[in-house]
Formats: sequence, structure tokens, C-alpha cells
Amino acid sequence: MTNEPEVRLKPDTTFADWRKRFTERAEWRLTEHFFRAMFDFGFLNDLAADSFKRVLIGSIGGFVAFGFLLTRAYMIKYAILWNTGNPERYRRALLGDDMTIIGLPMLLVAFVTLLVSQSLFPDERDFRILGPMPVRRIVVFRAKLSALLMFTGLFTTAAHVSLVPLMILTSLNPWGDSNVILRLVAWAIASVTASVFAILTITAVVGILVLALSRSRLQALSTIMRSTVLGVLVVCLPLVSHLPTLGGPLSRGAPWMVLVPPAWFLGFQRVMQGSADRGLAHLAFVGIVVVLVVGAVVAATYIILFNQFERLMLRPAPMSPPWWRINRLPLRSRVPPAFRGVFGFTVATLTRSELHQGVLVGLSACGIGLATIFLTSSIRLPISASIVPFLLMFACGVAARAALALPIEHRANWIFQVTEDHAMRREQMRAVDRVVTVYVVGVPVLAAAPLLWIALGSDALMAGLVMASIGLVFVHGVLLDWRRIPFTCSYLPGKRFIGHSALIGFAACLLFTLISSGLVRTALVSVNQTLVITAALLIVGYWLRERRLSAWRKTPLMFEDEFPDQMLQLQL
Amino acid sequence: MLEARGLSKRYGGFLALDRVDFQVRRGEILGYLGPNGSGKSTTVNTVVGLIDPSAGSLWLDGAPIADDPVAYKRRIGYVPEEPHLYTHLTAIEYLTLVGRLRGQSEQTLATKIPEMLQLLLLWESRYATMAAYSKGMRQRVLFAAALMHNPDLLVLDEPFSGLDVTASLLFRTLLRMFAAGGRMVLFSTHRFDMVEKLCSRVVILSKGRIAAERDMAEFREGRAESLEDVFVQITGQDDFTPVARQILDLMQP
Repeated sequence: MTNEPEVRLKPDTTFADWRKRFTERAEWRLTEHFFRAMFDFGFLNDLAADSFKRVLIGSIGGFVAFGFLLTRAYMIKYAILWNTGNPERYRRALLGDDMTIIGLPMLLVAFVTLLVSQSLFPDERDFRILGPMPVRRIVVFRAKLSALLMFTGLFTTAAHVSLVPLMILTSLNPWGDSNVILRLVAWAIASVTASVFAILTITAVVGILVLALSRSRLQALSTIMRSTVLGVLVVCLPLVSHLPTLGGPLSRGAPWMVLVPPAWFLGFQRVMQGSADRGLAHLAFVGIVVVLVVGAVVAATYIILFNQFERLMLRPAPMSPPWWRINRLPLRSRVPPAFRGVFGFTVATLTRSELHQGVLVGLSACGIGLATIFLTSSIRLPISASIVPFLLMFACGVAARAALALPIEHRANWIFQVTEDHAMRREQMRAVDRVVTVYVVGVPVLAAAPLLWIALGSDALMAGLVMASIGLVFVHGVLLDWRRIPFTCSYLPGKRFIGHSALIGFAACLLFTLISSGLVRTALVSVNQTLVITAALLIVGYWLRERRLSAWRKTPLMFEDEFPDQMLQLQL
Repeated sequence: MLEARGLSKRYGGFLALDRVDFQVRRGEILGYLGPNGSGKSTTVNTVVGLIDPSAGSLWLDGAPIADDPVAYKRRIGYVPEEPHLYTHLTAIEYLTLVGRLRGQSEQTLATKIPEMLQLLLLWESRYATMAAYSKGMRQRVLFAAALMHNPDLLVLDEPFSGLDVTASLLFRTLLRMFAAGGRMVLFSTHRFDMVEKLCSRVVILSKGRIAAERDMAEFREGRAESLEDVFVQITGQDDFTPVARQILDLMQP
């Protein structure tokens, strides 16, 4: 007893004791476990998971670098604004830029939250593993929430820190418009609230799905909905790039600004800075109400899940076919079995796996985003119409390859290994070829058909024909070096430096789009030219396809991904 | 007859299999017994063609399988130790996929799959994806997948784990009848009772080497000590009391 006060007087020991007590608690251990699990997507082996962590950590560094790059780009804009000597122009531009600075972290955090959407709520696995353990349910739920806060907090902080230099830059002005410190504090509060709104919105959508999914069989529907949200977020990217131009409408108090979420939080920021503008105050009010509503939905979801965990997790197996899927037995057909097997497996996986569908939709949506930029720019419609389908085609090609390359239940691939047969490999790979061709050629051409019709009139048919022929040649590029049954080969992320891959991708997209749109415009000069170009492309496409199929027949399938050989990478 | 001749497998510096020789004759179930880490699964993976041996060869009916591995693979059925399946598929979809990969006609599959599912008591769960299946149900799907193409050789790696009593009895009877039809079964396990009840011969593996090969009739007719005694002698683990005592001591707070 006499020694006790002395121990307390040693701050180091006390802190170490406290830290030890804290980190040894079941709740902290669970939080740590859940936090680590957020970096594990279930499809990566140990080597790949390590690699993926490096990619994620690298991406945080990338955000900071992006923030500096953005600041550098804005220096020129603000130097011009200061030199004009017109404070109104500066204020209008500032409104738009502030919205962008709030919108960018919102979008990033929404992406990241969607990426870990499988870990947002305790699930059946947690129920089965942690249920028999001497851990109270409340501890599991608190740990899950804490892990989510840590994960999203990490990205929210990284995004905001990277934007601080830009915020300081835009705060400086010759007219002494605002107190820099006050503005920074108001921005930090408003922007973090905006990011919290993004996290809560994704969590609310997923939470509602988790509850609905447990009551009925909405697995496929939830997969489609998550992919749709991802697609919408990707399409939002170019819209965020348009935010700087919305300063004018916002300063005029345009009523439709209420549909732009970053504007709500800009209103909140300006109110905190002391603005008396009624329009901005209204937007701030809308923002706060929406955050409260979404927060209430998330809280209610957690409470319902907490109270009815067993009932929601232990659902019986369905006894009837789901309404959206006819569970058919094989039908008589002349199509070779090997083709049907791989084709059916590929389609079923793309339809049901959240990860694969998400990658497919997310990356394809990048094409829609790029197309949106082109269509909202000042480029003439006929020219845009000849470019947009190829942007979609390129994005769909990258998406299809990435989605098919990611494994599902990698250790289940033994069935493909023990049944590997060179006599059937051609048919198996022909199924891959078919899926890719339909997605990379069919989807973009069909999606762009209305645009082509509006822009080119009756020439749209010819243009569509040429585009489809170009697509057939492009498929060869998508399937270059491909020798896997979809989803059966392990995957190692970060095989190449991201910047290097992005640069090559950008250059390839630019080259493909420019050459292809040039070909379409050349073909549309006359019917004869259309026919000659189409015929030439079809011959090349057919030749490449036959060459591909013949090569596949001779090459063994690949089941283990490997890091590229350094000598090969350097092309020495 | 399946014959392994001098089969070896090396992982870096570790020799998992060391010149293993055994035969699985037609009409017999060969028990392949050994403690964990003795090389049972390595042998099974080599026999089904998932890994290549570092040395030695496999022969089927007098011909080396390396001459035509694809033809050999067409003749084997395999039930792995862990039920690794594509759980996003239903049992019907999985069996259809396997049948198609094995080149079976659609008509055959349309007839065989429903009957197989009914016989294996999986028909009621046919609309559920296998993610909702228990381990035993998944094991039954694996059995169905291994049998549907009428294989000549069945390679089983701990096939009864997770199966309930009814299913175990069913598969035991099935395997006996399968072998009695002149076909071969390689049955890898560490369960003595299963080997005693099912196999005609047993090979005991220890540290990657064949430590003993016995005819099960010797045990059944009392000409040799029990299989468990032979196993304990070979593996050198005869008295487990000290270890059990240490575990109990460790449990004390």
C-alpha cells in the first residue's frame, strides 16, 4: 500500500501500464483484427495481401503528392485572379474552388468506404467465430465501429492534409477577404462533416441491404446495387471537376444548387465563417439535416442488427428458385461442353461476385466519366460522337481484363487443374474470347448508338459497323498474353509501379482513341471507303482471333500469378 | 493397376516424399495411412496431377502417365481433403461445370445431376449457393463431382471429414462396390477405423517414406498385431501419457 503512490508518480510506468491494459483488452484486440481485415479482400493470398498493403500506403502518399500538384496548378489561376484587381471574380472563383476542395475528399472517402463495404457491419463469419467466445456482442459491435472509424479516418485525414496547402493558397488575397485561420478551421469542420456524410451514406445503403438481404435472397440485387453505387461514384469524378465552374450559379443563389452535396457543406463552412448569405445558410441547413437523417439511418441499422443478430445471420437455405434467376439444368445443345462450362462460370461469377462486378462496373464507369467530360465540353458533337465510343471501349477492355484476372476462391481452382485438357483448351478460351468481345465491343457500340444517331443521322449505321470492326481488333489487345480461365489464377497487385502503368494506360487510350476516331471519320467519307476499311478490319480481326485461339491451344493454362522478371521489366 | 515408382517430391531443401513405391491393384481399396506431415497429401496431389514429382514416375496399366497425362486425368476422380468449391455457384451449377470440363454431354448431365443430387440428399438445397452448405453437404457435392464421369481410379484424401453417420455409411458401401467392379481406390487418411473397415491393403507412411505395407487380412485374421500397434511402432509415438500430462499442467491457471 505504501508503495502505490510512488508508482503513480512515475509517469512512464503509469503510461506503459495504461497502454498495456488498453491494448490487452479484448475490444482493442478485436478492433485491431477488424482494422487489418479491412485491407483483406478475401481473394488475395499472403504475398498479394502484403503487396496490396504497400499499394494502399503508396496511394496515401499519392494523395499528398496530388495535393501539392493541385496547389501548383491553382497558383497560376489565383495569380491571374489577384492581378485582375476584381474582388468579385475572386469571390466567385473561390466559391467554386471551395466546393471542389470539399467535394474531392468526399468522393475519395466514399470510394474507400465502398471498397470495404463488406466489413462495415458484423457479419455471419463474425457471428460464427466470435459467438462461442467469451466476448459480449456489444464489444464486437463497438470494435467493428472503431475499426471503421480508424480506417476511414486514415483516408479522411490523408485527403484533408493533402489539401491544406491549396486551402492556404486560396485564402490569401489582396482584399483581406477572410481570416486565414478562421477559414481553415471552418473548412476543416465542414469538409470533415462532408466526408462523414459520404461515409454514412454508403454505410446506410449497405446497412439497409444487409437487413434486406437477411430477410430474403437479395444477394444478386445487393451486388448489382453496390456496383451501381460504385459506377455512380466514378461518373461523379468528372462532375467534381466541373465544381470550380459553379461559383457563378452559387453566388446568384441558383435553386438547383441544393442538388449538389458539396454545396451544402460549403454553405456550412461559410456560415461558420460568419456569412449572412441566406442562400448559403439554407444550403448549410439542408446539409446538417441530411447528415442527421443519414446518421439516424446508420444508427437504426446498427441497433436492429445488434438486437436481431441471430435471426438475421442464421437464415435458412432457400427452397425455391430466386425470382431473377432460373436455375436451369443443362439443355441439349451443339455448343461444345468446354465452351459452355467456362462461359457459364464466367457469367455466373460476374453476376454474383461483388468484387468482380464492382471492378467491371467501376472501371467501365471511368469510360462513362471520360465520355461525360467530352460531351459537356465545347468540342463539336460529331467529333465527340466519334471519340466517345472508343473511350467506352477502352475502359470496358481494361475493366473486363481486370475483372477476369481477379481470382475467386483461388484454392477451388484444382478442378480446372485436374481437368485441364489441351483438346478442350481452345473451346475454353473461346468462351473467354466471347465474353470479352460481347462486353468490349457490343456494350460500348450499343451504348453509343443513340449518340451516334443524334450526331451523325443515317451515317450512324456505317459508323457503328466500323466501330465494331475496330473493336474486334482491339479485343486482341485486351487478351494479349492471356492464358487463364477467368478467376482461377492468383493475383499479385502492384506488379508494376502505378505511375508507370497509368502513363502507359493513358498513352494507349490516347493513341487508340485518336487512331480509331480518325479511321471512323475517314470511313464516313464515302460508302466505298466504309466497306474497304470495314473489310480490312474484319480480316485483321479474324486473323488475330484465329492466331490467338491457335496459340491458346498450345499454351498451358496459368494458375499462379508471378512478379515480372526484373530483366524483362527493364527490357534488357 | 496404378503404380508409383520411386516417387519423390522436394520443396526447396525439404524432402516431402522420398522414393515412395506402391501399387493400387484393380478391385482393391488401398489405405494410405500416416501422421500429419508424413507426405500423404503430397502423394495424393502428385497422383492427381496437381503437382509434378521431383523424381520417380506413375504408371497406369503398365504405361507411364507422363506419356499422356490428359488421358490419365480423364480416368480419375478426386475428392480433396478440404471442400474447396466455388461457393457462389449452386450444386447444380458446380456439377454442370465439372461435367462440362470433363467433356460430358448436356443430355448426360441433365439426367445424371438431378438423380445424383437426390441420391445424395442435396436436392432440397439445389437453389441455394454452396456458400450456405455445411461441410458435409460440400463433401457430398465433391463425391458427386468425382463420380459423375465414371472414373477408373478414385483418389480420396480424408473424404469422410464432416460427413454424418448416414453419409459415411453410404459412401463406405459405395466405395466397396466401386472397387468390387474392378476399379481402384487410393484412400488417404489418418483414421485407423476407416482403413480397417474399408481397405484391402494399407501403406503406412512416415516422414515421407513408406514405413510398412500390409495386407489387411493379416489384421482381420489375427495373424498380426492391430493396425494401431503397427502404426505406433512405426511412428515411434507409443506413450502419450507424458504429453497429455504436460497439456493438463499447462491448463492450470
